[in-house]
Amino acid sequence: MASKDYLRRDNKPIWCVGCGLYIILAQVTKIFDELKIEPIILSGIGCTGRSAGYFNLDTVHGLHGRIIPLAEGVKRARKDKEVMVISGDGDILAIGGNHLLHSSRRDIDMTVVCVNNSVYGLTGGQLSPTTKKGMKTLTSPFGSDIHSIDSQKIMMANKRYFFARTTPVHTEHMIKVIKEAIAWKGFAFVEIVTLCLETIGKNMGLREPANMYQWLKDNYKIVEDKDELDEFELGVVKHD
Amino acid sequence: MKEILHGNEAIARGALKANMKFFAGYPITPASEIMHFFAKQKDIQFIQTEDEISAINMGIGASLGGMKSMTATSGPGFSLMQEGLGLAHKLRVPLVVVDVQRVGPSTGMPTMPSQGDIMQSRYGSHGDYFPIVFYPNSAGECFRYTIEAFNASEESRTPVILLSDALLSRLYEVIDTEKIQFRLKPRGFKPLGDNKRHFTGLLSEGGIPRTRDTKLYRKWIKEMKTEIETVANRYNFYEYLENEGSDTLIISFGIASRVISSLKEKYSLFRPIRIFPILENEIKKAAEKHDKVVVLEMNYGQYKNEIERILKKEVHSINPVGGRIELKEIREELNGI
Repeated sequence: MASKDYLRRDNKPIWCVGCGLYIILAQVTKIFDELKIEPIILSGIGCTGRSAGYFNLDTVHGLHGRIIPLAEGVKRARKDKEVMVISGDGDILAIGGNHLLHSSRRDIDMTVVCVNNSVYGLTGGQLSPTTKKGMKTLTSPFGSDIHSIDSQKIMMANKRYFFARTTPVHTEHMIKVIKEAIAWKGFAFVEIVTLCLETIGKNMGLREPANMYQWLKDNYKIVEDKDELDEFELGVVKHD
Repeated sequence: MKEILHGNEAIARGALKANMKFFAGYPITPASEIMHFFAKQKDIQFIQTEDEISAINMGIGASLGGMKSMTATSGPGFSLMQEGLGLAHKLRVPLVVVDVQRVGPSTGMPTMPSQGDIMQSRYGSHGDYFPIVFYPNSAGECFRYTIEAFNASEESRTPVILLSDALLSRLYEVIDTEKIQFRLKPRGFKPLGDNKRHFTGLLSEGGIPRTRDTKLYRKWIKEMKTEIETVANRYNFYEYLENEGSDTLIISFGIASRVISSLKEKYSLFRPIRIFPILENEIKKAAEKHDKVVVLEMNYGQYKNEIERILKKEVHSINPVGGRIELKEIREELNGI
């Protein structure tokens, strides 16, 4: 398959023009093409949750928050196949948080791509566990008074872990860490930071895609060989 | 070979006979013996999950991946599984879900039997769906109807619910599993992984979401209903003991039906084993010959409402709730009807 054949042509994404999800979708298909693999793709609910349906592969679009256990069931039955979950921060870290704790602890061999846009985008822009303190959303109109969660630390609660943080604009880096996550034997978690343009982006004065991407470039820095990433650092931390 | 098995072990043994390859579950009284049994098996995938939500979703995933799958729980866990049951209906995934009923609501009386999940087994999830539900009443039947639950689930491509209760779960009986006749229904679709299919909870056509298409929804749900009912009609399991000298028909199932089995000398007894979709014709036919119909169940009249609905007449109700069921009490109530 050529990389374009990895997409269902008759199912057009629902995403806003300029959304980081388009870059992620396109680059992930290129990775599959390059590695000559046809993984099973699974998504939960949300904007990112629509991802599975756009791949021209065997795909599952499950319940809100429950796609990690569903994917684990698939992997346990199809140990010969690559299994990849692509879902959002609300889906994986809030409602699905318990399953992330335990599937990662069981170290099931799959890749979880968590697209962190800091908000519940599809439902209009409510607070998510990754909404930074002070950010205004529909459910934190005066600015969130809660610190955001660091998914890296959830992974680091395990003896063995793989965690990567990247962004769509650090494209080469994103490709590199996703490939590394696929190659990792065990539970690999990739956080891709982007911003929901229509909600959090708008509130931060970053409604224009070019401004949002520039903001990601200016604020996030690639680092190497670190035991732990700081809040605005991109890289890989792992323990075997 | 004759063996002494309790209801829970009989369910587990039946599942192995049905070629179940995946079991995910979370500990809960009085269902845990089922998972204890599977934990010892070498040739299946067994996993103790973090909760029942994970168990049912993992079961759905493993089933999509090609393994016959099962989970087992009790009332509180069954409640947590309801959203997953809806998903399995929407995705059309075969799966067997066992609910060993205990007294609720909430933690209630965890070691005592109840039949309080009858409506939950039928209507527990959101939206419209049409589950097949079996409820055996002996260890031998637990074995046999677990196999039939797998068959019905493969044929209908839906989750099938097998009800039991805290008394049946520990009722030790001598059974010869080798003498129980059965056939196995094969999987009707290819496992996930080598095709280009999209399984989605959204209303869709050919993998494309059609989430505002009323016409499509009506067509889809009607087809699903018809397909499930067609399959269910191949599993019309019930027991009817007619007593020509009696003007009273007692309808009961599971452990309650077991307790009153000696009453066949005085009354007609109807025992649905497939409790949903309800055996409308069979129950109507049996009821026609009797002046009085009594539903005996360990809840406050859940199935009685269903029977009144189909018979369109008042039905008597005997409700030994709270975990204890005694023939003497039931006899006294029957004398007063």
